[in-house]
Amino acid sequence: MEYDYLIKFLALGDSGVGKTSFLYQYTDGLFNSRFISTVGIDFREKRLIYQSKGRNYRVHLQLWDTAGQERFRSLTTAFYRDAMGFLLLFDLTNERSFLEIRNWIEQLRVHAYCDTPDIVLCGNKADLEERRVVSEWRAREFAELNRLPYLETSAATGQNVSRAIETLLEKVMFRMETAVDMAMQPHRRGNPNEPSNIDLYAKQSAQQCLC
Amino acid sequence: MALNLQYEAIGKGFVQQYYAMFDDPSQRQNLVNMYNVELSFMTFEGTQLQGAPKIMEKLNSLTFQKINRIITAVDSQPMFDGGVLINVLGRLQADEDPPHAYSQVFVLKPLGNSFFVQHDIFRLGIHDTA
Repeated sequence: MEYDYLIKFLALGDSGVGKTSFLYQYTDGLFNSRFISTVGIDFREKRLIYQSKGRNYRVHLQLWDTAGQERFRSLTTAFYRDAMGFLLLFDLTNERSFLEIRNWIEQLRVHAYCDTPDIVLCGNKADLEERRVVSEWRAREFAELNRLPYLETSAATGQNVSRAIETLLEKVMFRMETAVDMAMQPHRRGNPNEPSNIDLYAKQSAQQCLC
Repeated sequence: MALNLQYEAIGKGFVQQYYAMFDDPSQRQNLVNMYNVELSFMTFEGTQLQGAPKIMEKLNSLTFQKINRIITAVDSQPMFDGGVLINVLGRLQADEDPPHAYSQVFVLKPLGNSFFVQHDIFRLGIHDTA
């Protein structure tokens, strides 16, 4: 299992906005409205090639979602730890889930690796046009105000699902390539002895200097 | 105090009664009677709480409305102070969230002719560490 970068993304948003289906659509190209989590796998993985400056990098993506545990405990720094990018989802047919985005951004600013983490905002369930209650211009206005890329997505049809993740990956890779301040790097925080990080360190320093 | 040989029935009866209250939002308030004002401990998804007021504050802060629950197993043991140790394994579903396995441990402490929950530890079976 060779790779140049191990990248962890977190999908966040209210319960029922389609986080799990979104990730499932991306990794497996399927829509499954009744998702059953498998023992030992509470996150999904995908490998892809990222091109930059004429070079190909093998990226191992880990995609995590919350599975609803935020109903029982508030998500703390431990949960956000090591996540390098965030997919923030709301449901275009659910007003409340859109209003809650503001709180999710606040949570992220407190708990993520820095107070301006890389986020892509997704208005999900775009296929349910007849049930839409959040207009596109309203969502776009909000996104621009918060300087977030915005995409209208559908985990059911696959619309913009890959694009959302690729947009986020580009932002994260751009940050990694241009990071001047090493403290900005998410993997520089937390426990340096974590096995997944050691691997990441080794390969990165061999491939590319981040200084 | 002697071992309570009814531990099996007490365990099963308690679990049924407790969750009937917990799962009905209109009755959840009544759980306060299960805990002691000072002498009850709860560890809820890693949060440590002591005393009925703090415990109820936590339970009242839960945002889901309905909860579906299936009990897989209730294992009980008598304790040497006359109490009962109970371990519950089950699955629950909060509103339309994905269902989750969970485990909950109770220690029932005898008080007069009855019991109160002296210890309560709750965890969802989610493996969100790698």
